[in-house]
Amino acid sequence: MSRVTFSDITKRFPDGTLAISDFSLGIRDGELLVLLGPSGCGKSTLLRMLAGLEQPSSGELRIDDVVVNDLSPQQRNIAMVFQNYALYPHMSVRENLAFPLRMQRLPRRDIERRVREVAERLSLGELLDKHPRALSGGQRQRVAMGRALVREPKVFLMDEPLSNLDAELRLQIRQDSARLQRDTGVTTLYVTHDQVEAMTLGQRIVVLKQGVLQQLGTANELYAWPANTFVATFIGSPGMNIFQAPLQRDEQGYTFTIDGRTIALHVGAYSEESLSTFAGKILHVGIRPEALCLVAAGDEGVVDFSVKLSGLERLGHEVIVHFPAINRIADMQAEHCARLSHQDGLQIGDNISLSVAVKDLYLFDPNGCAIPRVS
Amino acid sequence: MHRKRLWNFVNYLLLSIAALLFIAPILFMVVGSFKPEAQVLSEMGTLRAVLPSEIKLHNYRDVFVRIPFGRYLWNSVLINGLIVGLGLIVNALAAYALARLQWRGRDTLLVVVLALLIIPFEAIAVPLFYQLSALGWRNDYLVQVFPFVANPLAIYLFYSFFLGLPRELEEAARVDGAGILRTFFAIVIPNAKPVFATVAIVTFLLYWGMYLWPLLMTVDDGVRPLPLAIATFYTLPPVQWGDILAFGVMMVLPVLVIFITFQPWFVRGVATTGLKG
Amino acid sequence: MKRVLMIKRTHVSEKTIAWLFMAPALLGLALFILAPFILAIVLSFTNVRLGSPLPVEWTGWREYARLMDDAAFLHALFNNLVFALVVVPVQTLLALGLALWLNRPLRGRVVFRTLFFMPVIFPLSLIAVVWILIYSPDANGLMNHVLRLMSLGHWQTKDFLHDPLWALPAIMLTSIWQGVGLQMVVLLAALQAIPAELYEAATIDGARAWQRFRHVSLPQLRNALVFVVIVTTILAFRVFDQVRIMTQGGPEDHSATVVFAAVQAAFDRAQVAKGMAMSVVFFLLVLAITLVQRKLLKQTRD
Repeated sequence: MSRVTFSDITKRFPDGTLAISDFSLGIRDGELLVLLGPSGCGKSTLLRMLAGLEQPSSGELRIDDVVVNDLSPQQRNIAMVFQNYALYPHMSVRENLAFPLRMQRLPRRDIERRVREVAERLSLGELLDKHPRALSGGQRQRVAMGRALVREPKVFLMDEPLSNLDAELRLQIRQDSARLQRDTGVTTLYVTHDQVEAMTLGQRIVVLKQGVLQQLGTANELYAWPANTFVATFIGSPGMNIFQAPLQRDEQGYTFTIDGRTIALHVGAYSEESLSTFAGKILHVGIRPEALCLVAAGDEGVVDFSVKLSGLERLGHEVIVHFPAINRIADMQAEHCARLSHQDGLQIGDNISLSVAVKDLYLFDPNGCAIPRVS
Repeated sequence: MHRKRLWNFVNYLLLSIAALLFIAPILFMVVGSFKPEAQVLSEMGTLRAVLPSEIKLHNYRDVFVRIPFGRYLWNSVLINGLIVGLGLIVNALAAYALARLQWRGRDTLLVVVLALLIIPFEAIAVPLFYQLSALGWRNDYLVQVFPFVANPLAIYLFYSFFLGLPRELEEAARVDGAGILRTFFAIVIPNAKPVFATVAIVTFLLYWGMYLWPLLMTVDDGVRPLPLAIATFYTLPPVQWGDILAFGVMMVLPVLVIFITFQPWFVRGVATTGLKG
Repeated sequence: MKRVLMIKRTHVSEKTIAWLFMAPALLGLALFILAPFILAIVLSFTNVRLGSPLPVEWTGWREYARLMDDAAFLHALFNNLVFALVVVPVQTLLALGLALWLNRPLRGRVVFRTLFFMPVIFPLSLIAVVWILIYSPDANGLMNHVLRLMSLGHWQTKDFLHDPLWALPAIMLTSIWQGVGLQMVVLLAALQAIPAELYEAATIDGARAWQRFRHVSLPQLRNALVFVVIVTTILAFRVFDQVRIMTQGGPEDHSATVVFAAVQAAFDRAQVAKGMAMSVVFFLLVLAITLVQRKLLKQTRD
């Protein structure tokens, strides 16, 4: 049971690339925290620094109150599940499970007992005398989990542990892993690029981009209050539509213009001072694809657009429609989309009207940072 | 269908004839080693040269009587055993340091080792002979062993193998609590058996036939290996070709056994490195 | 009083372990490759001779200048060139032919491959001795006999290894026989690494057997061929054992090679500086060939 603290961690590789810059994070005792980000964002580097496989260039790493920067991996008492499991091919499952305990020089009796316990817990009993090459992907994954569990570590590190499994197995093992973590209560750092995995497993989630922390929060927080346009477009499937609109100020309050229509912002939804700095500037406005619907225009508090469909993905219970981006921002989405409940008649090339409630609009400043709402 | 089968048969026939012609010198050696002396030369122009009529072992006995063959064999076995055994240890350790450990000077030394790869032994045989003679080091076993223990080619073979091992295995071991030494001996080595086998077999075959170096460095029969012995044996009067061929058969037998036993490893080793001096 | 025992495991740093791992190999390479290599270069600029009463002096390029005038050395160099020019193409074509022949659906391929490869594992000294017998000047000598049969009796018995015209070709034939299996194995491995889909695609595109060889096999084999040609060329310059045993370079240097000349100078005649200079020239030749290989191999990567 341990806390983990990253303080101002920076990692620069010998070739000069900056993998992590100024990263700070506290993981609570017994928490399962997920590091989420696209490939190459530095999430694995963070994990490997905590494991002791990489050295931070600057900053401090603590497990509980001990600074571990200068400790070798074997002195940190952590366990890790690798993406490809890294089971020792020349050892049986039993020997694989016993290896971390042998390294601790535990008496043979204790080793046998703990291997047996873990094997039972993960139903590995019948596999104990097999070699890794004789196991299926799911079995290997379980052995890797067992090898991490058996030593009762302070911290559990998981590097995309499900990415080598097929979809069905992934779902099942995801649930098993979550239960296992709850039962054992070991502080866990879990790295993935899969947002569904992150949202379902993580008590809290860190979104990382190019080595910089974007947002820390629960799944709901990330979805409902994304801190910037990166998180907004990364979370959700598909991600949020972002377009640009100039913010104006008139007697009634603030308005902006989309697709030739002027929309008034709810009075009181945003604080005066947060909006006043951006008056006359171009804001980024976001709409979740699921907030759009096919509704007759004219209702109060609703904005509507006419779009021409450029693509259709039918999923049975719903359909995702694509259309050229409205008020496109250079270097961002060329297409926007909407998730509509099942529609039969739609065809590519159709002109349709989509509407969204004003309260479902997200506002971001020209740099992409969310403008906080008052509520 | 019929034509295809005929074609197949002809193909096999031609291939077999070619192969037989090709190994005729070897057959000739083996068959000749069992013949009475007078027939070795006189039957050379006939089919009898490669077809045994009777098997007599007296040539083999003669080899042991006329020269200390056992001694030469032992010398060769000892020298090669030491080169291979010590070489495996020394080169594997160095290759691991170059492939996986973090230390300053690693990249430079890697370049140096790879550069040494292009210096053929023939280019340094003469200066090395002079260098060691000046130190008064000649004519023993170790002078035939030590120059070949550290071997850039072996280091290179080990190095590329270690680079290809999944790094996560070693990282998992480190996280599981093993130190660098333990990781190397308990995790890396057990998973590197193929490369150890390849390097062992290739170095053994390379040095089993080594002639130039012992020619320069040895004078006593007590330390001379087989290749040198056969080169002097065939000039030993009276010239007995039957004995010489028997010597040859016994000399090549150990290599042949190793070669046929370890065919797959060996062919892989040769195909990837193309070596043989 | 309770004594608190602090058990501290001594921790050896990664750097220390790395140097310990490197040390034996480094020592060996420095002592037995680097040192003689440097020694050769240094001594080749002196007049050092074993057992000579003259003081050792720097003589600059004198040794090299002498080599350029040394008929025996130039002859050896010329022999190496002839050796390479004949053996490399003949052996490569033969090996390519054998590899293509064995690269068909064929039961017992491993057996044939083993047979053709067999001479490669034979010690050269043994091969040299066996071929001395094959080249025997006796009328019954195998080579003489075969040639007489093939020429329908017109062939005059020859003493190949003591004939100025025939000594070098005799050694070349022995070398080709000994080495062709090695190249064949390398080429066969390269051929088998070509994905079958390429041939299938070419067949569908209407390529006939020759066109498939020309446009699929050959380009895919390029690197292996370059490799094989270069290795064989280097081997052609390294020839020593056969020469020493079969002809002693004779008659009158007609079959001497550079390595043979270097050993003869330094070892048999105690002309150390001369032997060193020859070794350096030999190394430069090999280096040049290696650089050509690097260049050729790089081109395909681009």
